Amino acid sequence: MDALILPAPKPAMGRGFSFARLTLVLLLVMAALPACQATVLAPQPTDQVPEGGWPRMLVDDEGTTIEIAQPPQRVISLSPANTEIVFALGAGELLVGGTDFDDYPAEAAALPDVATFTGVLLEQALALDPDLVLAAGNNFTPPGDIERMRELGLAVLVVYAETVEGVLADIGLIGQAIGADEAAAEVVDEMRQRIARVEAATSAVPQRPRVFYQIGSEPEIYAPAPDSFIADMVVLAGGEPITTADPAVFSISVEQLVAQDPEVIVLGDAAYGVCPPAVGARPGWSSMTAVRNGAVRPVDDTIVTRPGPRLAEGLAALALAIHPDADIEPPMAGTSLCPEGLLVR
Amino acid sequence: MSTGAVGSVTATGRVGRLPAFARRPLLLGAAGLVALCAALVAGVALGNVSIAPGDTLALLAHHLLGWPITVSWPASAETIILELRVPRVLTAMGTGVALALAGATFQGLLRNPLADPYVLGTASGAALGAAVAMLVPIHLALLGFGLMHLLAFGGALVAVAIVYRLSRLGELNSLTSVLLTGYAVGSLLAAGLALTMYLSGSHLRQIFFYLLGSFSLSSWQQLVIGLPVIAVGSVVVISRARSLNAFLLGEEAAAHLGLNVRRERLLLLGAATLITAAAVAMSGLIGFVGLVVPHLVRLVVGPNARLLLPLSALFGASFLAFADLVARMPGELPVGIVTAVVGAPFFLYLLRRYRAGYEL
Repeated sequence: MDALILPAPKPAMGRGFSFARLTLVLLLVMAALPACQATVLAPQPTDQVPEGGWPRMLVDDEGTTIEIAQPPQRVISLSPANTEIVFALGAGELLVGGTDFDDYPAEAAALPDVATFTGVLLEQALALDPDLVLAAGNNFTPPGDIERMRELGLAVLVVYAETVEGVLADIGLIGQAIGADEAAAEVVDEMRQRIARVEAATSAVPQRPRVFYQIGSEPEIYAPAPDSFIADMVVLAGGEPITTADPAVFSISVEQLVAQDPEVIVLGDAAYGVCPPAVGARPGWSSMTAVRNGAVRPVDDTIVTRPGPRLAEGLAALALAIHPDADIEPPMAGTSLCPEGLLVR
Repeated sequence: MSTGAVGSVTATGRVGRLPAFARRPLLLGAAGLVALCAALVAGVALGNVSIAPGDTLALLAHHLLGWPITVSWPASAETIILELRVPRVLTAMGTGVALALAGATFQGLLRNPLADPYVLGTASGAALGAAVAMLVPIHLALLGFGLMHLLAFGGALVAVAIVYRLSRLGELNSLTSVLLTGYAVGSLLAAGLALTMYLSGSHLRQIFFYLLGSFSLSSWQQLVIGLPVIAVGSVVVISRARSLNAFLLGEEAAAHLGLNVRRERLLLLGAATLITAAAVAMSGLIGFVGLVVPHLVRLVVGPNARLLLPLSALFGASFLAFADLVARMPGELPVGIVTAVVGAPFFLYLLRRYRAGYEL
């Protein structure tokens, strides 16, 4: 939000205008306030681990305390990541509703859709009579919908991770919420081991290349913000992330990119048809080291960026895109990307 | 409404009314009431989840009339009907009344057929307010209204107040000035909205859907605050129908008729802005209703505000309630899309059918 630099309102615009001016100043001040917001949303460590008994008091990632009276039997997931987590904990049969973008595991797609891109279908949510709703924070589930569901008496746990560590904590949190503590511990343990192996392999490679992870390229080039989830992933995968330099800015200019000269370009939008040949042909891009060396590589962004149980696999995929020669077991077969070719022209 | 033959040219030059209703506004009023009741019944009976009509009737009778019926329906049906659908239908109706009345008022007052409730910067003021609210890390909820609703309401009022002051609307014959000022201030606020959206990050989707309007978060708490505001403003507007008729002749002529032009203009403008702001705060920016409903009514009964205003309110309410029903059947389509998709072609059809012309 530091980028908000506007000329101060001109004084002396005549009598009777002070009200309007005051309003404008107030609006600007309020627009500048969110700079202090980031810390509020940071995942809270759930240190009040219940000792396996019920009812349980859980603090979700927005700091709301919710009480879960007994092991939930009917769970609604409002994000694909939460759906994946519940399935990974072996509790897929508890799910009675999901989202219209659930795609993994395959049976998740068959769940009745309670959330769409527009928001939560409140009638559906109520009709399914859930005893636990797993929502996603940071506006993935619209905050108004979360509030309304709570008003209507539903137990809503909001999950939001800003870091890889936060995702592991969330898996633990969901495990506690559905009474699958042990399964969660196992999943988290396995993920930690996989992450540690990736880290060991990448740290064996001496250099940490400058990596540009392309989130999207239409209409602008979208890059990770500093300290964002993707920047965190790139660091763990043994790269030096090129970011937008401002946590509130999500696009980066080609000038900036040329100046920062990425040594590896990772195409997070490869699943949407953006492939290395087209990237190399963009005006100005041919001067970048990554393009000249043919180090433009696609990844499946679903596993790299979805804060769920496949994140460790995503980290492996990202690490292999950055260090193709590192000793890393390749991730589980994902979507086949860029059939038209991986070589930069 | 679209039945009957093409209207014939009358001596006064007002043309294109449907003969069946032309001299019988009461009949049209009755038709409006029937449509309103149909919208209420359909809006409560239908939805995203299907509930047996018998259950709906039984639980309504049980709760509203106190009939001793044994509870045979699931608890969720009760919540869906009483906490979601009924307040939602009523909010849609209240919003429809507000937008149609405000549209009719602004069209008459500014003598501009393109005027709608948002013409004086209401929309951009409310949108900017709502967008800014999403960026503010303060969690405020007051009687079912969040910061977003409050800032949208305030933004709409402040925008119109600024336009009013800047355009010297206090003086006579300033219609062009007020329209242009409204446009200029609106553009400035729209630029502010664009900047806010650019900076909004993960809030962008919410702002976007707010701009398209929705009733998905309607609740009794909102309704209890919003509906009285709309009711009071609507009564003020409808009670000034005679003044609005005088304004149709031009402000100078109205003054010669003995009308206190400044006071009446401020009253009408203030009440219309108030109900627009209340509607916007409850349900976001819903386009087209305020523009088209008054024109449709005018095509049928002519420009007399004493008929136009109450009938516009009636049809605005049922139109928006039906539009919302269409919007929520498939999921949660933004209702502004439905009003435009349904309304625009219908409006075009009527305009072509009665192309002999009509006057404001």
